[in-house]
Amino acid sequence: MARFDQIKDAKIRDQAAAAHGQLRAGKPADAVRTLADGFLELLSDHPEVMKVSTQVRGRALPVVARWPALGANLVMGSGNGQTPRIEFVRDRFAVSEALTYFEFFVDLAVGQGL
Amino acid sequence: MKFGLFYELQLPKRPGADGWDPDAERRIYHEMLEQVELADSLGFDYVFEVEHHFLEEYSHSSSPELVLAALSQRTRNIRLGHGIVLTPPGYNHPARIAERLAALDILSGGRVEFGSGESSSEMELGGFGVDRGLKKAMWEEATREICNMMAQEPYPGFDGEFFRMPERNVVPKPIQKPHPPLWVAASRRETTMVAARLGIASLGFGFETPDELGERAQEYWRLVREECFPIGHAINPGLAVLSTFMCAETDEEAVRRSANGPGFFAYSLGYYYNPLTGGAHQPGRTNIYDRFSQLPTEQRDGREQLAGARLMSRQEIASQEPEDEVQRALFRAARSGQAIGTTDTIRRNISRYEENHLDVLVLVAQCGDRQHDHIMESIERFGREVLPEFKERHEAEHRPWREKQLADVDYSVNSSI
Repeated sequence: MARFDQIKDAKIRDQAAAAHGQLRAGKPADAVRTLADGFLELLSDHPEVMKVSTQVRGRALPVVARWPALGANLVMGSGNGQTPRIEFVRDRFAVSEALTYFEFFVDLAVGQGL
Repeated sequence: MKFGLFYELQLPKRPGADGWDPDAERRIYHEMLEQVELADSLGFDYVFEVEHHFLEEYSHSSSPELVLAALSQRTRNIRLGHGIVLTPPGYNHPARIAERLAALDILSGGRVEFGSGESSSEMELGGFGVDRGLKKAMWEEATREICNMMAQEPYPGFDGEFFRMPERNVVPKPIQKPHPPLWVAASRRETTMVAARLGIASLGFGFETPDELGERAQEYWRLVREECFPIGHAINPGLAVLSTFMCAETDEEAVRRSANGPGFFAYSLGYYYNPLTGGAHQPGRTNIYDRFSQLPTEQRDGREQLAGARLMSRQEIASQEPEDEVQRALFRAARSGQAIGTTDTIRRNISRYEENHLDVLVLVAQCGDRQHDHIMESIERFGREVLPEFKERHEAEHRPWREKQLADVDYSVNSSI
């Protein structure tokens, strides 16, 4: 079971640690921002993660597409040179939403051996 | 390990029929009352009933508070669990939930379990105008405030993102203080971990295997000890797992009686929660059972699935499992026969959950078109021949283990586990 201190990449681990601190400080919206930034940096630094797929209802979907759509939504780029971005559809986030992003981020990083 | 029964109140249509027999809904409601009454007399610990709306055939249980109220007058000890109440305010105003929970707690002599959730089917979200993207935030805000309403006197009022109300004293107050034990529906691992951090028991709808459960339990309890910031006024640490259930004199007979119950349970669940099929559902017209019947036999017939699963090694079954967590849960709902068989078979299979510190195994007996007399016999066999030894070990071994896990936890605990 993934814990953020199991992340090997120091930069990603620091992002997770910062978000963890913000969660404990009762700042879920700040934590979501940190995690969104960290997620985009992870994809930028480790583009191979973009190619990892998982089966959803019989179809292969990129694992990064499972990034939760809870208000900080992933917009996948298309065509050459298009990079994914996060679109914030609101500013406030509940603790449970921030925790869901946190769990996804840590699981992804640890699961991909980063 | 403790045991519960789980009810969706499934009611598949007859093949080719437009509707149901006129007596069908009355029949399944009263059969459920009888089944739970029997389970209570045999020492089952929990009954959990869902709240679902408009999911015809899959679940005709839209007013669990009424059914649980009826059960409160027909049972003595069994805990009456909402498994779960939909707490986003579009479904139920938070004050109404607090009032109903308290009234039920009074009527039952303090036996209520407050499970909460949000649902994700388009039939329900769309039916009540609940925004899919906001439902988790709605759940959290409302669930926290429902706890406050039950615990605070008066409730000081609230001006939130999704509902507001002025200062009021929400009455009656529940017997259990500060409020009934908290549970949340968790079909994904990450929700179980969120539950740990919020001090809520996880009602696992993922049909987790004993090994997965063991791994999750370790992390769940670490989070409860180290990273919990409770949503309520008392925490209820615990893990429950669902399993389909049919107990009979021989394994073959249990599989035969299990019939297509698990298959239909999984199919109809997947049908409503898949936006492509659930979103296209034609209320009052679609016959889901007909669609289910058109599946290839190996996907449809519970008897063959279960018999087949019994002949395969655990590795072979694992190799066929979908990667996606929700799809995997559906696969397991249809194929996992861990609580299907003789008392010896079931005892052997579920012992592995006990070894991995599962708190509550929740058994799905009523599903598909299973027969009431078979379910009654199943409850009776299990209740007489299997349940007592597990309950004994729960008190002697598991309860001390839980106390050890909670030794350094400062929060107050209100748990029936």
